[in-house]
Amino acid sequence: MLVIQNLSKAFHQRSATGIFKRGAEQQIAAVRSVSLQAPNGQITGLLGPNGAGKTTTLRIVAGLIKPDAGTVEVDGINVATHTNAALARMGVLSDAHGLYPRLTARENIVYFAELQGMTADGANQRAETLADILDMKPLLERRTDGFSQGERMKTALARALVHDPANIILDEPTNGLDVLATRSLRDALRHLRSPEGGSKCIVFSTHIMQEVERLCDDVVVVAHGCTVAHGTVPDLLARTGQTDFEQAFVELAFQQELANKVHGVIA
Amino acid sequence: MKSTSLFRSAWIVFRKEIQDALRDRRTLLRTLLPAMLMGPIMLIVMSSLIASFEEHAEIREVYVVGMEHAPTLRNYIERQTYTIKPAPANYEAQLRSAKLSDPVLLVPKEFEQELAQGEQPQLEVVSDSANMRSRSGTRNIEGLLKGFSNERAALGLAMRGVSTQLVQTIDVVERDLASTQARASQLTNMLPMFIIMAVLIGLMAAALDSTAGERERGSLEPLLMNPVQRSALVLGKWAAVATLGILVATLSALSFLPAQRLIRSDSLQAMFQFGPQEAMAFLAVLLPLAAALAAVLMAAAIRCKTHKEAQATGGLVITIASVLPLITILNPGAEAAWHLMVPALAQATLMMHVLKGEALSSLQIVLPALVCMVLTAACLADVARTLQRAALK
Repeated sequence: MLVIQNLSKAFHQRSATGIFKRGAEQQIAAVRSVSLQAPNGQITGLLGPNGAGKTTTLRIVAGLIKPDAGTVEVDGINVATHTNAALARMGVLSDAHGLYPRLTARENIVYFAELQGMTADGANQRAETLADILDMKPLLERRTDGFSQGERMKTALARALVHDPANIILDEPTNGLDVLATRSLRDALRHLRSPEGGSKCIVFSTHIMQEVERLCDDVVVVAHGCTVAHGTVPDLLARTGQTDFEQAFVELAFQQELANKVHGVIA
Repeated sequence: MKSTSLFRSAWIVFRKEIQDALRDRRTLLRTLLPAMLMGPIMLIVMSSLIASFEEHAEIREVYVVGMEHAPTLRNYIERQTYTIKPAPANYEAQLRSAKLSDPVLLVPKEFEQELAQGEQPQLEVVSDSANMRSRSGTRNIEGLLKGFSNERAALGLAMRGVSTQLVQTIDVVERDLASTQARASQLTNMLPMFIIMAVLIGLMAAALDSTAGERERGSLEPLLMNPVQRSALVLGKWAAVATLGILVATLSALSFLPAQRLIRSDSLQAMFQFGPQEAMAFLAVLLPLAAALAAVLMAAAIRCKTHKEAQATGGLVITIASVLPLITILNPGAEAAWHLMVPALAQATLMMHVLKGEALSSLQIVLPALVCMVLTAACLADVARTLQRAALK
């Protein structure tokens, strides 16, 4: 169970200038007001255009960034104050999911498992189980050096899920995957959502409509750092009076932009 | 999920980093091989250099132009068991091009006549100061000529019934305080600098890979998403890097033990005494330095976004750390107390002491080690602080 309430975060950035002059400091609001509730046994999609604040939100969820305001609770544990306890209950596949090229896939997975506090035996068993679920058995003993994009993603996902977390947070996991790899990832996520898979709470961010339509029980639409809508796919279609989900999404995100323009927030 | 202790987590990180570094065979070989070969190569080069000097010193030859004009001088030189050789016609060109490695004595035509008349004939000794070996031979010839002049003067005084002691009012005897090992250490002064450089190069690859490399690969962010204290991550990484540095330090210190047998010059062999005890002293001096330099390199590299950028920064650290020892190398013996407080400089100085055969006092061991420990702690704290910011680019 993941609950995000009124999250906001601004970054300081200097504008580009000449060699000797320092630029004026600018405040860039990456996240203004994001809220969502992701219950167990459901896949919640965090849908938004590029630069909407998805990655920043997920980094705050993973405890890497302290929010300016708002709270994130994982199974009732506040991430900002009890980061490590919360991290133990989360499996996060972030935007950056680099592997160690000189280690095998199994070693990559077992390393993180041990950092999560698992024993070597438990970690190895879990690696086998995950390799079954993610259909990557032949990869386990290979060095990750020559892995394809899809193989890397699978390994990174197995690494994130190794401690069997109740909450799974994925940042654009289908990026760069081909049809087959995307399908098998979808199947894996459906399995994890099901009672046999452990009724996990799954949150995943994407900007691909198809993914959301096919997979998500609940959708949260984010634009310009704000939650602008949430509900099931049929809900959102009904609200916008559209039959095409892409059209519905554009309307939801675009509406916000229009409103902002009227209020003069966006120059 | 049970919580993991600081040291267990650090141990897990340490094990993984070591495994990772050992898998990188090519880099590993390139850092360990020079460390192992340094002792033998340095000693062989130095001993052959000294052997050629010694050979040169043993040959008693004088190259002269116009010896036929000075039978008296010839008589004197031959009495000193020197062989007189005619200088080649183009001796100036040969000296310049270092083909001729001995200075040349020029005798003027009127030498014998002027000598007989007591007119102070002039002799010229030609050498090229850019030609090191001809320069060292000049001292021999000058000594020879002074001896000749003294003999002539003594004879002249004796004929007039004057005691030679009236002219030689003082008697100078040279006494060299340097022990034989100290004399050898003039030649081996460079060794500590090379060992420190080897340690730095050994540290560099691992230090960069575990910080800037991790950042560039995008594996730092996922790593930080594990419920592990930052200090455990930093501690484990540092321990792995420092271990590799210590491995290089040990190898390069131990490489001198078998290398001594390769020394060609007898006198250097007699003077360069590097036993297990000296090797242990080297290690005692080097271990804290390796640990501190590992932390310094990591602190420098964690701020760099890419491996390339980190390499430039690391190169700067290496340059500074290997140039510092020059302060004592260029000015041996003139040590100030603050030298012991400067990492790299202190260790180079102490290793030079060891090579001179001097025992190290406990202050000399403890003070630099303490400085290194403080430096290590400061750098590691800094890395732990920077880690999070670095992960997010």
